[in-house]
Amino acid sequence: MKSGGGASAKLLRRKRVSVPVIAVTGGKGGTGKTTVAVNLAVGLSMKGSKVMLVDADVDGPCCAMLLGAELDAGEEVRMFKPVIDAAKCTKCGKCVDVCREHALVGLEGQVPSLFEELCSGCKACHLVCEVDAIKSGQKVLGTIYITDSNGIKLVVGELKPTEPRSPIVARATMLRAAEELEHDKYDVAIVDTAPGIHNVVAQALWEADLALAVTEPTPLGAHDLGFMLDLTEELGLPTEVILNKADIPGGLKDEVVKTSRDRGVGIVAEIPMDEELLRSYVSGEPLVRKSPKSPAGVALLALVPHIREMFVKGGET
Amino acid sequence: MKEIVVASGKGGVGKTTVAASLAVFLAKTGTKIVAADADVDAPDLLLALGGGRTISSTEIEASEKATIDESKCTGCGDCVSACPFGAIVMDNHRPTVVRLMCEGCGVCKVVCPVDAVEVKKAVTGTLKIEDTKYGFPSVTGYLRPGEHNSGYLVASVKNSGRKTAEDLGAKALVVDAAPGIGCPVIASITGASYVIAVTEPTPAAKRDLERLVKVIKHFGVPVGVVINKANLSDDFRGVLEDWVKHELGYQILGEIPIDYEVVKALVKMVPVTEFNPNAEASKILTAIAKRVKDEVLP
Repeated sequence: MKSGGGASAKLLRRKRVSVPVIAVTGGKGGTGKTTVAVNLAVGLSMKGSKVMLVDADVDGPCCAMLLGAELDAGEEVRMFKPVIDAAKCTKCGKCVDVCREHALVGLEGQVPSLFEELCSGCKACHLVCEVDAIKSGQKVLGTIYITDSNGIKLVVGELKPTEPRSPIVARATMLRAAEELEHDKYDVAIVDTAPGIHNVVAQALWEADLALAVTEPTPLGAHDLGFMLDLTEELGLPTEVILNKADIPGGLKDEVVKTSRDRGVGIVAEIPMDEELLRSYVSGEPLVRKSPKSPAGVALLALVPHIREMFVKGGET
Repeated sequence: MKEIVVASGKGGVGKTTVAASLAVFLAKTGTKIVAADADVDAPDLLLALGGGRTISSTEIEASEKATIDESKCTGCGDCVSACPFGAIVMDNHRPTVVRLMCEGCGVCKVVCPVDAVEVKKAVTGTLKIEDTKYGFPSVTGYLRPGEHNSGYLVASVKNSGRKTAEDLGAKALVVDAAPGIGCPVIASITGASYVIAVTEPTPAAKRDLERLVKVIKHFGVPVGVVINKANLSDDFRGVLEDWVKHELGYQILGEIPIDYEVVKALVKMVPVTEFNPNAEASKILTAIAKRVKDEVLP
């Protein structure tokens, strides 16, 4: 494909935080990302690690629900929006010309009107206006919640329904989490991303040291995993695959195994179907705490020492 | 021409399975249709329909990206501080644009004192029109990994679907939407005649549906709800049914039980209603399709 300009993210990715960050992602929706993220966070915490769990699936954040955590009043995520002072406006049209999203519209000789849903909040209009007729207003795009749940610090980003700009909220959530990580000594942060491969996911993967791509044994799971691996490759992000619902009746592991092998990534866990997992999902009690000996609980807990190797120096993992 | 959009707040609840069986049912019962896969992040509808023969493939340039002319750049860093998306980073004292992060807003061009920034069109993804083995074409968008503006690609998919439908004289466009509630979902729902909202009896899926409904209500589109994997949790199923009927005031089009024939059909890349028409899931999916047809395409 043609390059649209801009260098490869691989060489430019800079972590803002020194703590190891594990992103749980996967491409296809509903494969079990949140289940893995929450149980991994709880499993690590049970081993004595100080854990932050970040829910960056801002379209549908469900970590709090699965963790059984209560969210208090959050902090608003705000974005710049232009407020036009009609009395000062000289109707020169510069702001209309500079707005690449066509959020400002106005014929010659008219005070421009704002189509708020198209505005990206970039401030270009504010910067080009020579008579200071564009003031900095704000709009609320979503909310960030921060809470403690059984020793785990939970940071949740949530997009306000009817607002389209999920990536801005995901980025704000990651920045807020990074700030919080500076405050206290954390051992590790787990990030739950949105499904898909677009820029809301890229924003959540930006800080990561490792991506865990959760998929399922169907052609659809394998297909979407391929796209996910394209994205983590572009980010230069080491990736491992987790096969969920590994033994689903009628399923076919081969394609996921083939996609992983062809792309040189390992499958680090196979989580079996487990009714206990479903019960824990519905009741909001993480499986590794509720039923650590259940088949899926055992598979999820087996990931804990694997992840602890990344940050525990010597001693018991 | 009617647009029927299959959506869900949560991923993996069965949108593609519902969309594939609806499309095949309509085609087999004499309604001329076009299918469109608007889940450009994870486009699986064609896989569920057993693949297709490519009629056309077009690159869509709906994105814009900043580029910096190194010969002009003085390395002042004004663009780095102005970028609202964190898309310009200092690399060896040179501001460099990270493609994945750049939203193409052009504020960097505005602040650059030496006019070193240009904003150029960039490839967002690929749009393909394919013929399926069920006698109708399917339009699919494939997002370039990490791109923004997936909503624009979705709009391109829908526009192409509409045009294909018009050319063929089709009566309906069946759209498989992305999960979530953000830009690509809003673009999927815009202009819809009817939304089939798929969910499952879990608190997470209920909450995501609640968020989706806020978006659908904003557009004032009529909705029918499908509860998939209905016996996943018998306790929660009742809670969900009550809430859909009484709080939302929406009709439940059908409740599909867990049926591993659905998984087998996915692996064989055949809609379950074709793979095994007598499977429990198939009977309900067919009944849902019939209900939607009667309601939306009388």
